[in-house]
Amino acid sequence: MTFLLRLMLREEFRMHTSYTSPHMFLAFPALVGVLSFATAATANNFLGVTPLRDVLFLVHVSVFLYGVSVGAFGFLGRQYQERATGYRNYLVTQPSILPMSFKRTFLGMYLRDAVFYLALILVPMTIGLLASIPLNGFRVTSILFLFGAALLSFLAGMSLSFFMSTLYVRSAPAFAAVAAVVAVLFGAVGLSRSSGMSTIPAAALLPGLGVQYAVPPLGSLGLEAVWFTLAGAGLILVLLGGAVALVSDQYEPKSVHAKDDLPSIERRLSRFRSYGTLLAKELLDLKRSGTPVKMFFSFVTPLIFLSFTVWFVRNGLNLPIGFNTVFYAAMVGFFGISLYNWLNNVDNMDYMSTLPLSVPQVIRVKLLAYLFLTLGISAAFVIAISWMNGDTRLLWLALPVMVVTSLYSVVMTAYLTGLRTNSFLFDPGVLLAFSAMSMLPDVGLAVLSFTIDASPAFAIGGIALALGALALGTLILYQGIDRKWSRAAFGE
Amino acid sequence: MAVLEVQRLTKFYGSVPAITDVDLAVEQGEFFGLFGPNGAGKTTLLKVLTGQLAPTRGRARVLGIDVAERPMAVKEAVGIVPEVESPPSYLTSFEYLYFVCRVRKVPDANAKISRWLEFFDLGDVRGTICKDLSKGTRQKLMLAAAFIHEPKLLFLDEPFINLDPIYQRRLRDYLREYVDGGGTVLMCSHLLEIAEKLCDRVGILNAGHLIAQGALAQVRGGEKDLETAFLKLVEGKR
Repeated sequence: MTFLLRLMLREEFRMHTSYTSPHMFLAFPALVGVLSFATAATANNFLGVTPLRDVLFLVHVSVFLYGVSVGAFGFLGRQYQERATGYRNYLVTQPSILPMSFKRTFLGMYLRDAVFYLALILVPMTIGLLASIPLNGFRVTSILFLFGAALLSFLAGMSLSFFMSTLYVRSAPAFAAVAAVVAVLFGAVGLSRSSGMSTIPAAALLPGLGVQYAVPPLGSLGLEAVWFTLAGAGLILVLLGGAVALVSDQYEPKSVHAKDDLPSIERRLSRFRSYGTLLAKELLDLKRSGTPVKMFFSFVTPLIFLSFTVWFVRNGLNLPIGFNTVFYAAMVGFFGISLYNWLNNVDNMDYMSTLPLSVPQVIRVKLLAYLFLTLGISAAFVIAISWMNGDTRLLWLALPVMVVTSLYSVVMTAYLTGLRTNSFLFDPGVLLAFSAMSMLPDVGLAVLSFTIDASPAFAIGGIALALGALALGTLILYQGIDRKWSRAAFGE
Repeated sequence: MAVLEVQRLTKFYGSVPAITDVDLAVEQGEFFGLFGPNGAGKTTLLKVLTGQLAPTRGRARVLGIDVAERPMAVKEAVGIVPEVESPPSYLTSFEYLYFVCRVRKVPDANAKISRWLEFFDLGDVRGTICKDLSKGTRQKLMLAAAFIHEPKLLFLDEPFINLDPIYQRRLRDYLREYVDGGGTVLMCSHLLEIAEKLCDRVGILNAGHLIAQGALAQVRGGEKDLETAFLKLVEGKR
């Protein structure tokens, strides 16, 4: 197992560094450490407005969700298996052709993910906290207790995810039933917490949080801590044991039958003339591949991160910056870039080279699909956040900002990276151009949005000017797509 | 009448030459076989001739169309079976052929789709999405997609790969009939026995150079079969 684990860790590292470079990849945990240090250094500020108990609750819920996302093997596992016949292959596919147990390989994957993702985030986070001790007076033991308790929450999330994934592969109805039970349990805890009664404590579902509350600085390290530790370890072992038991040594691929939907979708899109067929195929690909779920999360995650940053700047750094709806609208527009990247990763496009189709034609179809998918969601987010912040007065300005920045961002990304966004963004030249072309207008709009209340005429005039410039830039870049990509080939 | 004329065609990938100074002519109604060891440049040549890759230098005209100047017109005119069978993963067999018909503006698409689904016995998998098809079935679909608009010239890269003997035979018969009816085929393959039964003329590509071309008997020389002649020609260059 040690040999297999070592090889798997090496494989995981090489896979990640193949998207970038070892230096760039290793910069990520370093960045996590620095962020953790910066957050902890201002702890005295935000602990003044948010009780430590609530901060620790947020930390454990986040770490648990991180574990859940790391452990979604079953869904990925199917893709891994299917990729075995493609250009890439992974160690996890080897039990089908070598005398290896798939259960054992699966366990190896669990250990690999636990080690790899701990090293990627939780360990550097802890190092950042330790480094902040001279600034905030945290105790080493408290930080080590936090690490231990967070480890339990992380592994509980991972184990739950591994279990649910293998259950899904075995039986979709059983998966749906268990998922419903889990959702009800977490929903009950959430409701109980929001009602302020805490009849069902969160620690009942997150033993790591129970440990956290039972050790210093909040608890006294008594029997309760031991009990929660044992409960946490037991939960992890039961879920992991269940997952391993459910793993089958014989993988049976599913055969998906579908209705012939393409002609009817194409008819509905007939107003797009020559693009109707391609757009219909694009939308059908998205639907059948399940990509919209991944797109949704990759859109929502930075928005959650943004909300955290805003909270941190307000409450952690105590900076008097007026974040308003226009600021959020500009950010939402720029976050849409990741969705364009997803559109290029739905499927291999090699077969298109055998048809009378050009790369610019397909880029334009991706842009249309992007507009179809995102404008509604982005508008809903901007409206929702303005309503939640009681800031609907600026919606008239925020919505055009969102639309123009969305269009500019996606057209700029398409112009720079064509149909291979992932690969081209690791080209230093393209990355530099991309950073300059996205960050400068983004920062400009953000700064202008902060001045709306102090100097409305200046801010609105500036924003109108910036939107005009972005619209013009969008048009120029859109027309440039033909020139730049007309001779490009499909595929790798 | 030559449907394919190639003069000093060269393709570099960066600084690496893939094909160098290839001269070739294929007449209408001819079945031309292109052979060579792995990495000889067969697929690259086929991709340049079908407008999938731009040549570095030299000239090629396909059905009178310059491939460097009008690659899209070449793709409209010909049928192409690529080296790797790669229909779009999330379309059903029927939908893929429908998609091809719409992109190629094929009239009477439904009848033609039915004909090719029937020809390759794909009725049972008509509603199966392509990623769940076997390799052989995917290959049949790629062949159907290349034939469906009834082009005058076919470029086939390993068309027999993954097909069982029944469909190899069916495809062979169809191609023979197609050529007898005035169609032209340029095929890359490693299956020399099949090629020997089908090809009128052959060319042998080695390390990017066309080292032999001519009528089958001419290239075979005094050897007992094409395989022996091929090995002698290629090994002799090493």
